[in-house]
Amino acid sequence: MNLLKLTERLGLVSYRNQAKSEIKPHIVVDTDICNSTCPHKCTTYVCPANCYTMDENGKVHFQVEDCIECGTCMYACDQGAVDWNYPDPEIGRGVTWNYG
Amino acid sequence: MDEKFDCIIVGAGVAGLAAAMTLARNNMKFLLIEKGEFAGAKNVSGGVLWGSDLAKLVPNYWEEENAGWERYITQRRLTFLDEQSSFSIDFKSSHFQETPYTGVVVLRSKFDRWLAGKVEDAIAESDFPMDSFIAPNIKVDEVLMEDGKAVGIRTGEEEFHANSVIIAEGVNNLLTRQVGLQDDYVPADHVLTGIKEVIRYDQEKLEDRFQLSGLGGMSNEYIGYATDGVEGGGFLYTNRDTISIGLVLGLKDLREKGKSPHDILNHFKKHPAVRDTIRGGEVVEYSAHVVSSGDKRIMPKELYKDGVLICGEAANLLMNAGKAIQGMDYAMRSGILAAETIVKAKEQDDYSSSTMKEYRQALDESFVMKDMNSFQDAVHMLHSPQMFKDVPNLICDFGRKFFTIDNEPTPKSRKMLAESIKKHSSYWDLMKLGFKGAKSL
Repeated sequence: MNLLKLTERLGLVSYRNQAKSEIKPHIVVDTDICNSTCPHKCTTYVCPANCYTMDENGKVHFQVEDCIECGTCMYACDQGAVDWNYPDPEIGRGVTWNYG
Repeated sequence: MDEKFDCIIVGAGVAGLAAAMTLARNNMKFLLIEKGEFAGAKNVSGGVLWGSDLAKLVPNYWEEENAGWERYITQRRLTFLDEQSSFSIDFKSSHFQETPYTGVVVLRSKFDRWLAGKVEDAIAESDFPMDSFIAPNIKVDEVLMEDGKAVGIRTGEEEFHANSVIIAEGVNNLLTRQVGLQDDYVPADHVLTGIKEVIRYDQEKLEDRFQLSGLGGMSNEYIGYATDGVEGGGFLYTNRDTISIGLVLGLKDLREKGKSPHDILNHFKKHPAVRDTIRGGEVVEYSAHVVSSGDKRIMPKELYKDGVLICGEAANLLMNAGKAIQGMDYAMRSGILAAETIVKAKEQDDYSSSTMKEYRQALDESFVMKDMNSFQDAVHMLHSPQMFKDVPNLICDFGRKFFTIDNEPTPKSRKMLAESIKKHSSYWDLMKLGFKGAKSL
């Protein structure tokens, strides 16, 4: 059965500027909001690329590297914590689909 | 570039490419801007391009070998799932083999790139082969407005000027918001997260498994167990040597139910009937993208203003009313209509709202808005828990009784159905649903 873990799935994705160590994040998350007033912290489970994680203390962390630009978090976050944009072609990460 | 274009199109997806093709054929000077490395690089869909508009853009596309599409639809299947069972309505017909085809399966990275090549050809054959461009690798930061009228776009420090801007940026419509036609924050109520895997097989094996001949293909939609209790449904489409399998999941419902799309995708793939259908093969890509639900309440306030037109998913033009997930056909037609309006605006030398509104009128008179207007009730019904939970359970329960032969006296089918209805719903609920269904479809 070809059931894949999320990490294996993300391993199949081609990203731009993958080799660059310094990239400009195209999504900026105010995790202070996630960790203070947000009642659901939903990005930690609805994001299809698991860019939002929750640590053992229940704190939300965000990393942009695996982002596949789907847009889910921009709608799912109703707390105003997610400032969403597309990555810069030169200095952002972002995705290039092989199939799409 | 100092010159001024007749039009700048933002986004080389289906809508933007359809607009560009139409502008090129009408000898317009335009710039089509794409943020990806090439047209299609950042585009994802299920995806079937329904309808026959593609033949308008690329006449006789079916005669070209190795064209950008995968397979044409010759077989359609709608499958209801409960935990153990699948109950399908299956329709296959040789009439689907007649050209122009009424549906082609596409993989956007390949299809959009191919279509962009056709647009390049059309530019080369136009009166301005050196003055119109497709420009990839550019992210548009802003639509430039002067006295309420669009005059071009800005990318970084650089500006490009034009008499009009067609926004075909897709569902995550930041520019549509920037020009004030959409709210800055769009809530999750009427969007779904689409999630998909592409699985590769030996082509002959794939054709044998799905009983495909030539470039015929199958579309299969799933409702019920597929989504693990979350609003939405599943899909499976056959490509040349791959399949596209995935789900669309109501985003608000995901949030409320605390579920992860990638977990639900494995839940779907593990269903006994689905597992048999997709066994073997190698997953070669995982992707996701937000889609609109087809509920008109999410649409921008208006689809035009001075010098600006909004088309495709940027305008939330997408619908699933139970027959098919339609979006790329709406994108294609809206792109064509937007470009035709720009052509007219140039003839009249008037790019103001009074010309731009003709786009909205043309769209309202086309199948796009006619269907979206007529099938709103069906969209609401399809997104009700009865439709994605009770009905599939009831149908599969009845199927299990009806098709099981176990050397016991067999009750009449009517009695079996009555039992299934009682177990998963009620006559009253079903009557309400049937009444709504009869009205909405």
